[in-house]
Amino acid sequence: MIPLLILAPLILLAAFGAVWMARPVHAALMLALTLALVAVLYLALGADFIGLVQFAVYVGAVAVLIVFSLLITRPGDEAEEIERRPRSLVTGLFCTLPVLAVLAYTAVFGSNIKLIPWQPKLSIAELGEMLFTSHAPAVLALAVLLTAVMIGAALFAREPDKPQDDSSEK
Amino acid sequence: MEAQPNTPATSPPDKPARWVMPGLGLFQGLAVTGKNMVQSFYKKERMTTVQYPEERAPISPNFRNFPFLVYDNDPKAGLRCTACSICEKECPPQCIYIVLERDENGKSLKRPKVFDIDLSVCMNCGICAEVCPFDSIYMDGEYELSTDDRFGGLLFGLDRLSKSAEYHMKLRPEQASEVMARRKADEEKKAAAAAAKIAKAKADAEAKKAAAEEKGGEQ
Amino acid sequence: MLPLAAVISEPSLFSLEHLPRLPQRLVELLLGNFGAPEWLVSIAGFLVAAGTVVGVFLGGFALLSLIERKTLARIQNRIGPNRAGWFGILQPVADGIKMLTKEDIVPDKAEKFLHLLAPILIVVPAILALGVIPYGREWTPVSLELGLLFFFAVGSLTELSVFIAGWASGSKFPMLGAMRAISQMISYELPLIITALGVVMVSGTLSLPHIVEQQNGGFWHWNFFTPWGFFAGILFFICSIAEANRCPFDLPEGESEIVAGHMTEYSGFKYALFFMGEYLGLFAISALGITLFLGGWQAPLPGLGFVPTWIWFFGKLAFVIFLFLWIRGTYPRVRIDQLMRFAWLCMIPMALLTLPAAGVWHFTGRGLLSWVLVVPLLLVPWVIVGVIFNKRLAAATRTYTFADG
Repeated sequence: MIPLLILAPLILLAAFGAVWMARPVHAALMLALTLALVAVLYLALGADFIGLVQFAVYVGAVAVLIVFSLLITRPGDEAEEIERRPRSLVTGLFCTLPVLAVLAYTAVFGSNIKLIPWQPKLSIAELGEMLFTSHAPAVLALAVLLTAVMIGAALFAREPDKPQDDSSEK
Repeated sequence: MEAQPNTPATSPPDKPARWVMPGLGLFQGLAVTGKNMVQSFYKKERMTTVQYPEERAPISPNFRNFPFLVYDNDPKAGLRCTACSICEKECPPQCIYIVLERDENGKSLKRPKVFDIDLSVCMNCGICAEVCPFDSIYMDGEYELSTDDRFGGLLFGLDRLSKSAEYHMKLRPEQASEVMARRKADEEKKAAAAAAKIAKAKADAEAKKAAAEEKGGEQ
Repeated sequence: MLPLAAVISEPSLFSLEHLPRLPQRLVELLLGNFGAPEWLVSIAGFLVAAGTVVGVFLGGFALLSLIERKTLARIQNRIGPNRAGWFGILQPVADGIKMLTKEDIVPDKAEKFLHLLAPILIVVPAILALGVIPYGREWTPVSLELGLLFFFAVGSLTELSVFIAGWASGSKFPMLGAMRAISQMISYELPLIITALGVVMVSGTLSLPHIVEQQNGGFWHWNFFTPWGFFAGILFFICSIAEANRCPFDLPEGESEIVAGHMTEYSGFKYALFFMGEYLGLFAISALGITLFLGGWQAPLPGLGFVPTWIWFFGKLAFVIFLFLWIRGTYPRVRIDQLMRFAWLCMIPMALLTLPAAGVWHFTGRGLLSWVLVVPLLLVPWVIVGVIFNKRLAAATRTYTFADG
């Protein structure tokens, strides 16, 4: 309970910063901080594997890809972004409040929520075995999807075939 | 332009390209550097660096750095410089400062009272040495001129600029001996001219005398 | 019980094998003797154990900065630093004093906070990664079940800190350096992890001490001396050169091109921190490579068990680091397009191939049959890719937008 109490406000603050920051790079870094804090939360809750994977994949790869794509794009106008903030805040709250309301309602009045009983920690070997036996179809489907994405990305990355220039051959 | 396949420049065109295992060059490179490293521990002739303050590389006879003034025999009286100020006027960065020495009557003594060269301004072009008509100023081979005194240490006066003709001979034997030979010849010529002048004066006097005598005889 | 008596009651404490753990045990015994609570004792013990590792590797960093310069000098037929102290042994101290007393310059256009954060963030992952390596039979600072995953997870923080350094400097060379560094690290982290996965498949564990335990009994049991491990080890080594930003893959800080890359706008102690992070990262990746492929702390021959295991580990570490130096002194820097092409068209396919090879090796009993099956499985594509890469891809001329008209 104590880790949650310490980490949850931090995560919320970082997430708020990710939305609020005017400069895209700052927002991306705040997002990375949010993801890292979530990873720490996982670790604090005893889910070592998912915590480390969260760190490696989200902080190490996803956040880095986001900042990398920010590097090669043109920066927007910051003053305009700040000017737009009040309007954006209203729209954002309009979108998030219903979600929050539903969550709060289920948390307070929901009767059919059952607390999952505490399970012993899964070792990494057990996790792997489960993935490749009972959850094998899902893993296979994911693998096929990712392969398709890879091939698509490779096709996109290929340079378009240049038209044959006949004048150079004499 | 059509992209050319990269052909190594070293392989002669008439020799058919031999198939080499890919990546073999990497190991050849490692072997070369490895040999360098091992041999550097016992082959003295491999080492290319000179441990400077303890040992120095010999300087080339054509190395020239900073001007100096030549004197013969005596540092004060033997100074070749006549304070003609040609170098002062020709110096591109104007780092030379000369004051002519005069006696109490204001007559020129034809030697410098002050001869300063500012090291921080001098660009070692050697023009002063080229224009000097008195073989007085030459380029030095000195290169350890750094100092921790910014103002006094970088201004070279007569005491630090004057160096003996022997030093010049040792530094640049070829140039110095040529200069010495020329100066000797000049001196001899001058002496001969002076002797001739004296002889001529004597002859003139005698001729005058003779003429006077002749005149007297006529009278 | 008196502290002395407590120490004497544990005679194994004084053996050479247990030497690296001596400070930790002493502090624990002392504190326990003075009636400190249990949690304080364990925290103090942890701190001392961490301090031992950090101290050893900071000393190694100082030593390596001198040895690197000496080795490079010898390769170039020079003597190297020999003024400060006997044979230049005090050179690291002199460098350290110089770095500490230098002016700390922050550019006007820099993001002040991020500019300060980056050098700190770059040292942290390297030190964290060093914490999970088993250095000896009795000396694993933190023994994690998911040690390998932890190593790569914290290692991924390096990319982010390099980006922060490049971006927060508010200058163009750091920015270009950071872009190069990130694209290089992402490209080479992939084959690095894939080759390490082969070891995980064969060992069946992510715990680094267990991976080392499984390679016991002479050097022919090491992963490097199996057919798939040989190829995977070479790939791992190449990737670790790129990950550590060492020559010939030191494009992120190529002096002749972009001054010092993401470190251009740093000076004084912050620059020293980058330097330290780089060298600690080099130690960490070499230590991981040794753990995965070269048998960790295992002695090369069964009869050599009397030498403490951590001495074997550091001997191997010295050897691997020397290879890094030798390579740095030999090869010129590659071009960025060659680097990326090499990563995506050569390294990643070859690394992927080691996975089925490791599987075949594991399930055919690791005997003669496995050799017969695995060697052609790897050697044939290796030669084919090598020949193709050598002929076509590496020799492809770069087209310049402006220079070629």
